[in-house]
Amino acid sequence: MNCYMNTIPIIIDDKKLEVDPGKTILEVCRENEIEILTMCHLKGVLDIGACRLCLVEIEGVNKLLSACTTKVAANMIIRTNTDRIKKYQRITTELFFAERNHVCAVCVANGKCELQDLGYKVGLDHIRYPHLFPQCEVDTSHPWYVMDHNRCIMCTRCVRVCNEVEGAHNWDVMNRGHQVRVISDFNSPWGESVTCTSCGKCLHACPTGAIWPKAIVQGQLQKNPGMINELVEKRKMKL
Amino acid sequence: MDKRKIFISPVTRIEGHANITIEMDDHGHVSDALFHVNEFRGFEKFCEGRMYTEMPTITPRICGICPTSHTLASVKACEMIQGIQPTYTANLLRRLMHIGQNLSSHALSFFHLSSPDFLLGYDSDPAKRNILGIAEKYPDIALKGIRLRKFGQELSERITGKKIHIMGIVPGGMAYPLTEDNRNALLVWIPEAIETVQAGIGIIKKFHEENAEMVASFATSPTLYLGTVGPNGEHELYDGKLRFIDADGTILQDQLLPQQYLEFIAERSVNWSYLKYPYYKPFGFDKGFYRVGPLARLNVASRMRTALAQREFELFKQMNNGKPVHGAFYFHYTRLIEALSDVEDAERILNDPQVTSTHIQHHGRWNYEEGIGSSEAPRGTLFHHYKTDETGKLKMVNLLIATGQNNPSMNRSVLEVAKQYVKGDDIKEGMLNRVESTIRCYDPCLSCSTHAIGQMPMVIEVKDKRGVLLKRLERG
Repeated sequence: MNCYMNTIPIIIDDKKLEVDPGKTILEVCRENEIEILTMCHLKGVLDIGACRLCLVEIEGVNKLLSACTTKVAANMIIRTNTDRIKKYQRITTELFFAERNHVCAVCVANGKCELQDLGYKVGLDHIRYPHLFPQCEVDTSHPWYVMDHNRCIMCTRCVRVCNEVEGAHNWDVMNRGHQVRVISDFNSPWGESVTCTSCGKCLHACPTGAIWPKAIVQGQLQKNPGMINELVEKRKMKL
Repeated sequence: MDKRKIFISPVTRIEGHANITIEMDDHGHVSDALFHVNEFRGFEKFCEGRMYTEMPTITPRICGICPTSHTLASVKACEMIQGIQPTYTANLLRRLMHIGQNLSSHALSFFHLSSPDFLLGYDSDPAKRNILGIAEKYPDIALKGIRLRKFGQELSERITGKKIHIMGIVPGGMAYPLTEDNRNALLVWIPEAIETVQAGIGIIKKFHEENAEMVASFATSPTLYLGTVGPNGEHELYDGKLRFIDADGTILQDQLLPQQYLEFIAERSVNWSYLKYPYYKPFGFDKGFYRVGPLARLNVASRMRTALAQREFELFKQMNNGKPVHGAFYFHYTRLIEALSDVEDAERILNDPQVTSTHIQHHGRWNYEEGIGSSEAPRGTLFHHYKTDETGKLKMVNLLIATGQNNPSMNRSVLEVAKQYVKGDDIKEGMLNRVESTIRCYDPCLSCSTHAIGQMPMVIEVKDKRGVLLKRLERG
């Protein structure tokens, strides 16, 4: 008889686990120190499975599923580090770099960038896809912050944190495919936004050098994405 | 008329890529010589639309040899935009880093790139006429040169954690302080560095003595000179005002603010090179050629800031009875006098009690739409000029690089030396190396690449005016 009455048995990478049924595969993996690569996941806001880096294999399921949006089920057999998954992680990372203009050497986030860390993790030594080199505007209209679309990877962490945590919903998304862009209000300059509270949460949520404070230069950027979840938890305590 | 040309492509043992074309008349005499810089970088254009505060990070990538000079010119332009000044300690640390880069660059120019000509000879085997050849025949000198460069780079590394493309020089000051341990570790280097520079001075002086005729007649066209000086005309690399002198040493302009550079310098493009032709505006394009760099800095300076360097400076000044020394060959000597001054100045700064203070940055924000900064790069005076909109976004970037300012003179020097050494169809490799070495005197920095070993193949072709190949020499 199962002694963990409220848990379910699953297997991840040949490791037998008893886990809470309401949790996502990503949450279970993080709790059990099983590494899953992520980019759009930000603890404290809703997961959307956008970046496709956390794909896992589940026995009996033909396609790969995103660990951040798939909940565990009893007797699931999950694999997180097969050659197939590694191959897709590498492809996804290369596409991130090929889609916009990422030049780490001159980026304000150099050394403090989750995309750069991801590149190192997957062993990115070259990019097999042609770079799109899109002409992206740098929005400097905000008095304190800069939005550089050249460095945006469309993880939409800024969009979600602005909506779900700050409640301002300054940021949103327009267009489709590689024309997709994060926009302020109805695609107006950020400095003209009537909804932005200038709280700076989007800056901390941004995994790259797309959103950064005007006052700093390379080597001075400090981001604290963990602060977002702390805020969320503290608010729950007040309730 | 059967007009023939000699192409030297690429020019070796310099930083960057360039060719030389020597045009000859049908009697085998040199009629013209052109120095082509055949790479296009485009920094001024693609920086438009970026935040001005990104420039101290972007512009050092122009060059792997003098990134600190670019950063300094850039942060000074940013500080003018913000209307702030760096702290006292930040100025000390910036000076230290600039000294480190200057030493490193001068060591590279003298020991790695040029000493093979002096120690092995212009006509020695090209395959061995490089730093490896020096290491084989004079291992002690090669090691000294390499270690001097290491000291220069360590000055940056011990302050910011990086040897090149440093981070940490920021508008308003510095991002990182110097620790007591690092200060002490740097002070240990001083005696060895002074000894190495003095050994280098010994080498060049010996070469001067043994080749007096060649040195005295090597690219000696008189030009104007531009350099940065302190309030009393003292030699200055980091912060000061500008001085122009004419070929006789008369001061044309003194204590000019770098922000006034456009009043005195104009540029013209030519159709055979991506490098523009700057000139001293009041004298016009034909008479306004001026030079920058170590030779120019010592020609314009009234004195050095340190004792040992002052002693050498006085000997240098005696060479032409106190008037400017024009021979391009003396770039090497002046480079080493500067290196000596650098090491002595580094010792003075490292012994300043304030150098380890943590009061290293003043903070500011965008206040003005225009900023101009300058610094003395190893190869000469460097200007960064930015214009922004009211949000800080760059609308205009103008970078006036030291090598560009020497371009007209380099071109003229190449012609002079070609006329002296290239004659007829019998082109010897050593002759062409002399033409190349004219360029090397200026230590031009044409891009961020360094061909320190000189392995690049060189092809020289003699063609008639229809492009028919008459003669071909290859090496590499």
